[in-house]
Amino acid sequence: MDLPAGTRNHNYAEDMSIFRTKTHWFLLIVLLVVLFTAPLWFGNYWLSVANLIGITIISVTGLNILTGYCGQLSIGHAGFMAVGAYTSVVLTTRFNLPFLAGLICGGIMAGIVGMIFGIPSLRVKGFYLAISTIAAQAIIIWVIRGWTDVTGGYAGLEAGPASIGNLILKSQTAEFFLILTITIIAIFAAKNLVRTRVGRAFVAIRDNDLAAEVMGINLFRYKLTAFFIGCFFAGVAGALLAHTNRLASPEYFAFTNSVLYIGMMIIGGLGTTIGPIFGVIFFQLLNVLVTKLSPALQSAFPHLPGGFTSGIAPTLFGLAIILFLIFEPRGLAHRWQLFKSSYRLWPFSY
Amino acid sequence: MSMLVQFVITGLAIGMIYSLIALGFVVVWKSSGVANLSLGQLVLLSSWFTYSMLVQAGLPFYLGIPLVVIFAIILGWIIERIILRPLIAQPILSLITVTLGLAYFIEGIVVIIWPLSQAYLPRFFPTEPIHIGSAVVTQEYLWAAVISLVLFILLSLYFRYNRMGIAMRATADDQKAVQACGIPVTKIFSRSWMFACVLSAIGGILMSSIGGIRPGLVETGLLAFSVVILGGLDSFVGAMIAGPIIGLVETVGSGYLANFIKWPEIRTVIPFIIIVIVMCIKPYGLFGENRIERI
Repeated sequence: MDLPAGTRNHNYAEDMSIFRTKTHWFLLIVLLVVLFTAPLWFGNYWLSVANLIGITIISVTGLNILTGYCGQLSIGHAGFMAVGAYTSVVLTTRFNLPFLAGLICGGIMAGIVGMIFGIPSLRVKGFYLAISTIAAQAIIIWVIRGWTDVTGGYAGLEAGPASIGNLILKSQTAEFFLILTITIIAIFAAKNLVRTRVGRAFVAIRDNDLAAEVMGINLFRYKLTAFFIGCFFAGVAGALLAHTNRLASPEYFAFTNSVLYIGMMIIGGLGTTIGPIFGVIFFQLLNVLVTKLSPALQSAFPHLPGGFTSGIAPTLFGLAIILFLIFEPRGLAHRWQLFKSSYRLWPFSY
Repeated sequence: MSMLVQFVITGLAIGMIYSLIALGFVVVWKSSGVANLSLGQLVLLSSWFTYSMLVQAGLPFYLGIPLVVIFAIILGWIIERIILRPLIAQPILSLITVTLGLAYFIEGIVVIIWPLSQAYLPRFFPTEPIHIGSAVVTQEYLWAAVISLVLFILLSLYFRYNRMGIAMRATADDQKAVQACGIPVTKIFSRSWMFACVLSAIGGILMSSIGGIRPGLVETGLLAFSVVILGGLDSFVGAMIAGPIIGLVETVGSGYLANFIKWPEIRTVIPFIIIVIVMCIKPYGLFGENRIERI
């Protein structure tokens, strides 16, 4: 980690600490204060956007562990989210399990399903794996639509509000705090996971899986672990999405979402903890901008073709993915790194 | 029995179209190592362009179809030149993702320009159905099969005898050796994308002449993926043989399974179930080459 000039680490604890200097701690506290007081100065609309951002960050963080660190491309992440969502909703409504237990069971179930579809990763990689995860997405959504007795089919399944003990989190503000807390835990867990033995094994597998195997990394174990952890995050995110929307519906977990998650990860920066945060915020703000602006543009310029409002969002998202891959393949996280180092070195940048 | 014959014939014919679209994938994969996940969207885009030419502009058949092919060639050139050229030698992850971005982009453009949910092309082929035994098959299917077969033969002749075709095969085999021989590799990449676009355009015209233009045409792209997975990613013959198999399994399987499994839309998951099975048993497909890696 880059530290300001003159900062020296005298023991291992200092060397490993994420927040090393007083400035780090100060900025962290300011950020936490701002985040936890956000409901005071956010309107209802922005609060719902923030909730969606939080949930998506959890999911994309999981995808980032799987794809960004372990190099196993998954284009079915929304499908695994759906598994988590339906597991949690079914357990809490039918079997009256508490919400938190449902959340964790949803994550575990998604992880197990992810591991099953990750088994081909032991023999194939790259495009083959991408296609098999697309197949996972399609099969999961098909099962959800068909198995109406359990999942409610197209109509979806009504979900209860989130609750902790006797405290029922019904209002948007309460949900915001819940999602914020879980998001922070998820980011912290991801950040620390990739610094452990497991995380370094993932990186070795990503860079060259044959070399990793020769070094003594058990590919079978670590690839499946990556699938489990990545899909666990997805399952938790899916369960949160279902409980905050009071509905688990196959429409929330469409194939296009899976593609968008990959886009967010790429735009944010593969293989960095901060990347998913940037990517998700960028995409969701772009989405807000498009939904706010396109009807106004449509009415201001009547010559625009009729499908403008519904078609502009995918066009811009696709364009953003392409442009980032061509001009900044390391994503916004790399820009952030550049900014930080120029700040650190200022005014003597040599 | 007549049901079975009908399923078999339509399945084989549709499968030939899948083969055609899958060939576009294989050409690009072999020459440049790019996995083109925007196949379905290319099919959709060129079908709508055909609609514009033949219905909205009212051009006659013999003028409209060549225009569509020219459009596809230009599209392929643009895609390769603008999007794929800067990404040469990037990891496979970026190459897959960029085509996903392209797929998203094309889908948006299609919705913007053609905000209709469904449209039909004028009928090119004689409308009178053909009776084979007790089965009744519309002529579109047979024509689609014949056209696909002819194109496949033309394509294999091109790869066997044309200088450019031989150069493309050589690039697939060893890119560095080809560069050392002084063959412009970028030109070959660009040519392969043109092929992919033309093939998916023709596939799109044939598909939409059978079932009309629907957003569901995107799924033919997914079916083409299952064809290449079954046939092997780098095998022309594999794609050509696997296509009719997938088509058969799709129509016969969904036709009969619908009696046993009451869940709707079984047709849409059959290709994916095939993919999963192939992936578990023979991951490199029927004719694919399992390249041995060195560290």
